[in-house]
Amino acid sequence: MFNAKVKSEILKDIIDIISPLVNEIKLNITSKGISIRAVDPAHVAMVDLEVKSNAFEEFKAKEMELGIDMDKLGSIMRLSTAGDMVSLEYDNDANRLTVRIGNLVRKMGLIDTAGMPDPKMPSLNLPAKVVLKSSEISRGVRASESISDHLALSVNKDTFELFAEGDTDTVNLKLPKDLLVDINAPSKCKSLFSIDYFSNMIKPVKSDNPLTIHLGNDNPIQVEFDIADKKGHVTYLLAPRIESE
Amino acid sequence: MLHNSNNISKNQKKLLAVHKENSPSMCALCRGTKMLCGKSRCPVVLKFHSRDKVKPLIDSLKIGGSSPPSVFIGRYGYPKVSIGPMIPPLMGDTSIIDTPEMWLDKSLDDIVDFRSMLIRGTHTVDVFDVESSNKTVEFTRELAMSKNSVFTEAIFSKKPRGKIAFYDEVQPHGPSAPLKKFDITNPKYEQHIEKAFYDTDLKSREAIFNLYKDGVKISKIQKAFSVGAFGVRKHRRFVPTRWSITAVDSAIGENMMKNTKNYPWINEYRVYYHNQFDNRWAVLMMPSEWQYELIEAWYPNTTWNPYGRGISIFNSYEFYKGRKTYAEIGGCYYSARLATNELLNKERRQAGVVVLREAHPGYILPIGVWNVRESVRKALRGQYQKFDTLDKALMFVSQKMDIPLQRWIKNSAVLKNKLYQKRLEDF
Repeated sequence: MFNAKVKSEILKDIIDIISPLVNEIKLNITSKGISIRAVDPAHVAMVDLEVKSNAFEEFKAKEMELGIDMDKLGSIMRLSTAGDMVSLEYDNDANRLTVRIGNLVRKMGLIDTAGMPDPKMPSLNLPAKVVLKSSEISRGVRASESISDHLALSVNKDTFELFAEGDTDTVNLKLPKDLLVDINAPSKCKSLFSIDYFSNMIKPVKSDNPLTIHLGNDNPIQVEFDIADKKGHVTYLLAPRIESE
Repeated sequence: MLHNSNNISKNQKKLLAVHKENSPSMCALCRGTKMLCGKSRCPVVLKFHSRDKVKPLIDSLKIGGSSPPSVFIGRYGYPKVSIGPMIPPLMGDTSIIDTPEMWLDKSLDDIVDFRSMLIRGTHTVDVFDVESSNKTVEFTRELAMSKNSVFTEAIFSKKPRGKIAFYDEVQPHGPSAPLKKFDITNPKYEQHIEKAFYDTDLKSREAIFNLYKDGVKISKIQKAFSVGAFGVRKHRRFVPTRWSITAVDSAIGENMMKNTKNYPWINEYRVYYHNQFDNRWAVLMMPSEWQYELIEAWYPNTTWNPYGRGISIFNSYEFYKGRKTYAEIGGCYYSARLATNELLNKERRQAGVVVLREAHPGYILPIGVWNVRESVRKALRGQYQKFDTLDKALMFVSQKMDIPLQRWIKNSAVLKNKLYQKRLEDF
């Protein structure tokens, strides 16, 4: 059983977070809330998302899994406006999810979850931790996008740095301690990442909201932030590029 | 979008920006279509016009012969374009002249010889005028949908002019002349095409793919597509031959790609190799999610690198999510993509594919993208070499190709992605 009511903004945020990575997901539902964990087809990035039941206006559920096509859900949610209340109800007999926005009803066929993997979170040792406002870093990412397809992120003592290099141009963004919320780096760390993937990970974060980054040396990056008024949490993992071989 | 929708590599952006200067790579980007050098006619293409092979053909105001069948839809002046039949001064079964699928065992000279006999009749129409009662429109469409060669007579208002016409995408043809009168005898429709033609609710994309699945040759589908034989009735129109070739290659490839993306990965690294018309083709398949790239290296003195002293290398690619802009290197990208998906669909497997092409100096004239499609198909019909690592597969590629491995990698987005981008399970 699954029967919930939620503000359309929260559902839209979830779609913006998941759909750049994967189209078909397994939505895990328990009495405590919902969660999604998925890896992109190239196995380069992972998203782990949870939203607690108290983020919903109404939430009644027993443990279950729903296979959802994010494109379909996105197409119906595009018709909602801010402030709309969306109700979600699982129809057991027809194996469909009923999405209601006002008087609009979409009955959405679900996907079989049998073949879908349960990705494991790799255990990583990422020594450096930086907390910053997403607006600080997103400018650097956008500047890098036009000159290269990858960028370097590094943490050294009290400075967080972003660097990108194209054929003729370079982009550099240095954020000293006073522009960061928090920084903790026992040693110098540096890794290289695809800009496409990385920009998709920071885009869903509202500009004033804090973003936590865990970084290592030639290791994946972990990006974390809260959603749904801190009643939900997102963790992204992105594997690095390693060019010196 | 995860992957760059603007897939023009930084190198190519730079090249496109400097095309006013006569850089050696200019011709490879232009291929006789964009007039980047500022001349009104392409000197590369012109060079071949001087061959005087068609003289006897252009001395008369009329021609009667067996059309393979073949038609040509021009692109200049769109949406007012010139349409019409192509007729050789030959009788009987001439189908080979317009069936590129049968040309791989021919030499370049043979192909040019028999193509140059095709006289093109022209008649200007609006592209949407497909249902016009004008006989030339009607007969041109019937010809394009015919199964076998059709006896065709044409009377021109002027003597045919021009020598051999070469294009990058389209097969070459002979001189052309404006039509005054044109008649065909007993055309018989290809039955699958006829069915799609009468289904005026069937979308052209579906029509194309159904025909392909029914085993109709791509050159036949493309011909019928170019005369607006498919699609929802009100959308039907003439499509310039050049565009129709790539439209068909791209539509069929895209359809198969949807399947490819859901199949399990291949288990090994594979390299297929084939040499055709002094073009060396190496197709590398990797156990990964679908990603695709075509890299072309043009040697000095080959078709699209006539003035350069160095080798020009160009690439276009897409990652799993596909691309939204037209491939920088043109129609050949879609021809090779179709060929690789054909194999993967047959095996029900997914792979990352890099097609490498070295055009050596023996490849002196442009003969159309069918060459790309059929050469890659031929390579993929052959035996592949199997490797357990990418390094070993690339070593084998470098034995077959002249260009050093490092240079291929430097010019390849997909190889760099595979070599440098780690996966989560690596940690």
